[in-house]
Amino acid sequence: MEMIVEELQRPVVLDASFERRVMVRVRRFHAQNRARRGKLARVAASITHHPAWTAAIAASLVAVTTFGIMNGRLRTPAVSGAAIEPTRFVLVAPTAQSVSVVGDFNNWGLGDSALVATSNHGVWSVTAQVPAGVHRYAFVVNGKDWRADPTAPRSPGDDFGMPSSALVVEEGSK
Amino acid sequence: MLGLEGMESSDAELVTGVLGGDVNAYSTLVSRYRDRYARYAVHMLGNREDAEEALQDAFTRAYRSLARCEEPERFGAWLFRILVNRCRTSGARRMRRSQTFVHDEGALLNASEEHPAEQTMWREEIERAVGELSADQREAFLLKYVEDLGYDEMSEITGVGVSALKMRVMRACDRLRVLLKEVHSG
Repeated sequence: MEMIVEELQRPVVLDASFERRVMVRVRRFHAQNRARRGKLARVAASITHHPAWTAAIAASLVAVTTFGIMNGRLRTPAVSGAAIEPTRFVLVAPTAQSVSVVGDFNNWGLGDSALVATSNHGVWSVTAQVPAGVHRYAFVVNGKDWRADPTAPRSPGDDFGMPSSALVVEEGSK
Repeated sequence: MLGLEGMESSDAELVTGVLGGDVNAYSTLVSRYRDRYARYAVHMLGNREDAEEALQDAFTRAYRSLARCEEPERFGAWLFRILVNRCRTSGARRMRRSQTFVHDEGALLNASEEHPAEQTMWREEIERAVGELSADQREAFLLKYVEDLGYDEMSEITGVGVSALKMRVMRACDRLRVLLKEVHSG
């Protein structure tokens, strides 16, 4: 056994280009991340729903991205090739008979694409695979009552004339 | 680069530098761990190409998640955990039976210079035997004997209980003895 281990413990030396290849990936991600932060700052600046809360919402939206914290809500049109991340949506609605999630990541629930949440003592939740990016979404209660997420920032524009919330999902945040 | 001239920066200093925006500090971490962890990936995945891809991916994932590295002074251990998981994913995605030994031309050349043909054959036999182990057994064996980790560390990295790991290592050793004996007796 000692001979086997000795043989397996021989060093493996990688090609000199390995480090460069890793750093190309790292710098690409760094540049994308900086661009995304700039975009989010612009989105945050455009939020105008409740003037009194505008500053706080904008600050929290930027903070979520800056510190890489995934709060589990919101997205925009996904970038082609973006990583898919599991995202959990939760709504407390004790009297609801059904809750589903619709957003730009599932074509706003058209056809059968709405995400049906399950209830645990009035806490409705569902986990969806969502592409990295900034998104808009809403909850549909009892099949007709369209609600924004009360715990997330409101999106700058209401889709279909209905309220919606904004969600940032970072790549590799799971 | 942080730290005093002539002194190597610690992992914690480098991680702090990267999080502060110094991307170049990450290249020091890459050069510090690349060869050390390449050995595990090569033996685990059975070929150099997949191993390099897994290691690149582990470094990239670690960079993306660096803010969640709770103990920057233990960056190496945290990175290794990411690599072990990445190797598991990679190993599960492909059929590896047809390529169970390392295609490491440089290493084979060195071996040949030291101990002619027998050394090369011995190495190939070992790599082939390691490749015949189940993924779980191979992982446990490499962590225990090649990476020289304790069972508690192995448990922390793999999420598998100590008893189960001991069993896997024992079975891996038994299997290797049988496989290598078959080669020599055949």
